[in-house]
Amino acid sequence: MQLSTKHLLGIRDLQPQDIQIILDTAIQFKEVLQRPVKKVPSLRDITIVNLFYENSTRTRISFELAEKRLSADTINFAASASSVSKGETLLDTVNNILSMKVDLVVMRHSASGAPHFLAKHIPAAIINAGDGINEHPTQALLDAFSIRENLGGLEGKRIAIIGDIMHSRVALSNIYLLKKMGAEVMVSGPPTLIPKYMEEAFGVKVEYNLKKALQWCDVANVLRIQLERQNQVLFSSLREYNLAYGVKRELLDSIGKEIILMHPGPINRGVEIDSDVADSKQSIILQQVENGVAVRMAVLYLLGGGKVQQN
Amino acid sequence: MKVTIKKARIIDPSSPHHLLVKDIAISDGTVSAIEDELDPGEGTVMSEPGLHVSPGWIDIFSNFNDPGHEYKETLESGARAAAAGGFTDVMVLPNTKPVIDVKSIVEYVVQRSHSLPVSIIPIGAVTRNAEGRELAEMYDMRNSGALAFSDGLYPVQSAGILVKALQYVKAFDGVIIQVPDDRSIAPQGLINEGIISTRLGLPGKPSMAEELVVARDIKLARYTDSRLHFTGVSSPKSLEYIKRAKESGIRVTCSVTPYHLFFCDEDLLDYDTNLKVNPPLRTKSDMMALRRAVAEDVIDCIATHHLPHEYDSKVLEFEYAKNGMIGLESAYAVLKTVLPELSEDKWVKLLSLNAAAIFGLSKPKLATGQVASLTLFNPDTRFMFTEKHLRSKSRNSPFLNKEMQGKVKGIINKGSVVLNENN
Repeated sequence: MQLSTKHLLGIRDLQPQDIQIILDTAIQFKEVLQRPVKKVPSLRDITIVNLFYENSTRTRISFELAEKRLSADTINFAASASSVSKGETLLDTVNNILSMKVDLVVMRHSASGAPHFLAKHIPAAIINAGDGINEHPTQALLDAFSIRENLGGLEGKRIAIIGDIMHSRVALSNIYLLKKMGAEVMVSGPPTLIPKYMEEAFGVKVEYNLKKALQWCDVANVLRIQLERQNQVLFSSLREYNLAYGVKRELLDSIGKEIILMHPGPINRGVEIDSDVADSKQSIILQQVENGVAVRMAVLYLLGGGKVQQN
Repeated sequence: MKVTIKKARIIDPSSPHHLLVKDIAISDGTVSAIEDELDPGEGTVMSEPGLHVSPGWIDIFSNFNDPGHEYKETLESGARAAAAGGFTDVMVLPNTKPVIDVKSIVEYVVQRSHSLPVSIIPIGAVTRNAEGRELAEMYDMRNSGALAFSDGLYPVQSAGILVKALQYVKAFDGVIIQVPDDRSIAPQGLINEGIISTRLGLPGKPSMAEELVVARDIKLARYTDSRLHFTGVSSPKSLEYIKRAKESGIRVTCSVTPYHLFFCDEDLLDYDTNLKVNPPLRTKSDMMALRRAVAEDVIDCIATHHLPHEYDSKVLEFEYAKNGMIGLESAYAVLKTVLPELSEDKWVKLLSLNAAAIFGLSKPKLATGQVASLTLFNPDTRFMFTEKHLRSKSRNSPFLNKEMQGKVKGIINKGSVVLNENN
């Protein structure tokens, strides 16, 4: 079986079948990662460029590690140390890199739709590692993988996504994925951080009261407050945000059930989630990070030409 | 110069030949005879089944980028694009470099256009450098040939400034043109806020940003009893306000672009930068409401919002691409394609007569002895709109390679004949 797409631009373009293939393939790679020798030769002779126009620590490291575990040759390109400051266009930069015979491009960019633009103009396969406020597909895939691991599946499960929905590409990718796989989704946060047309666009529930959202869900995916993306005053202070929307111990104790807590990182401790909660046994934050490598190996492997045996 | 047009249907309500099929002879820029049958003798003969002739069309909102951004368009290339689209008169935006905000720049445009077959009429800036702070010398510009006033792509934001401007232009019966856009609302917005922007992860800009300005500026027009024209209107709610204002005697008029009638936000799923415009493409139901409004006389005229951009301003990430598309060459075909049932009579009002009345451009009627300022067009011709139909310096058109109906044959204006031959 193969993916129905040449690129991974977003979950929006994937079929449920594609998601299934990626998640199932990731199980095999997770097993590989438990072995003493964690490296497989799957992408030998494949060259991948990690093109990061926006700062990233964990996503870049996770991709890099996944690429190395698959024996691919990798090069890293960070915008700050590049010709971007000299005014070179995205298309020029990428074409220059491609002329050095690169097969796959992993790109993060601050403009929504940047990987889609690139896909129209270059021959290489593109993996979106986050574009503007649009999508972050591998994060949604690893989140889904982690939910599946803990709850046995996605269908009918209730996932609440909490916090800054408006500026979050993680939210959008998660919503696309979870809806495609039959989960129920709720978003919760201050009204200024939730797009006006959320319900109409996706058929998700919107809940401004955090406690009600937590009572409703099986899994709460708590998002980072994107301080760097807010150009307008959307809430009064971080202190007030924490009071109204911070996930706290006493709040969790008051809902009368045990839910799973996720966070895509990096965490603003004491803002969207308190430390004792983030580090509790309800939290699967570090498990998400571990799964990230396996899921990215699966995506790279499938787009790098690998085929999955049908069993 | 002698030209004979054979068997053309005349569309001009002020002409005694309105709706009749006639032969028309033009000598030295003047209509010399209109008869059932004319012997062409010497000179050019135009004969084509289904040919229509009307008073020359007027576009009231194009940017020719000259002076300053001649790599996008010049007065010459803009005039060629206009002629190809059937426009004999074009009102050009002040958003040049320097801005058309003093007499000398107005005169530059007027003089440089003198020898061109298209009449190019500058729109003077309302405020200095179109920055929205101090009034520009509108009286002086008016006397030099500026016909209307607008800050163009950067509409006046301050109600205080606009009210003064509206009062000021009353001295010479001037009109102020506003693109209704409150720039304080969703300043990062790239497309219409709605289901599509939410799904595409693109920052949205609500139609409310337009409606607020329409509602506010109508109040200013009422207070000042001055003349105000909204262009690029894209929201049905705005049209409702405008309709009500007109009914209560407030002197407001409005225009729409062809592209707001043809495209909606659903066409943006591919992040096509040629569809990045301001005001943005709205929803499908808004687009349909706009089409109805054109048919129902709420809208006074068509404005192409011809905004040429070179390759590097459009072939890049959506967020960084400039707003606007070229539109002169394709305007009629687009209109006729979306509203084929509308009569040619109606189109000529929308493309020429109404704008002439609003902005005080005297268009000669189609009668013997009158100066010839004409557009020739064929409403029934179907064709593929391609690059060979473009005359603009820029290529930023989303209409390329679309099958359309309604083709312009050319113009006769200022003693010249410009025809779209062999395409």
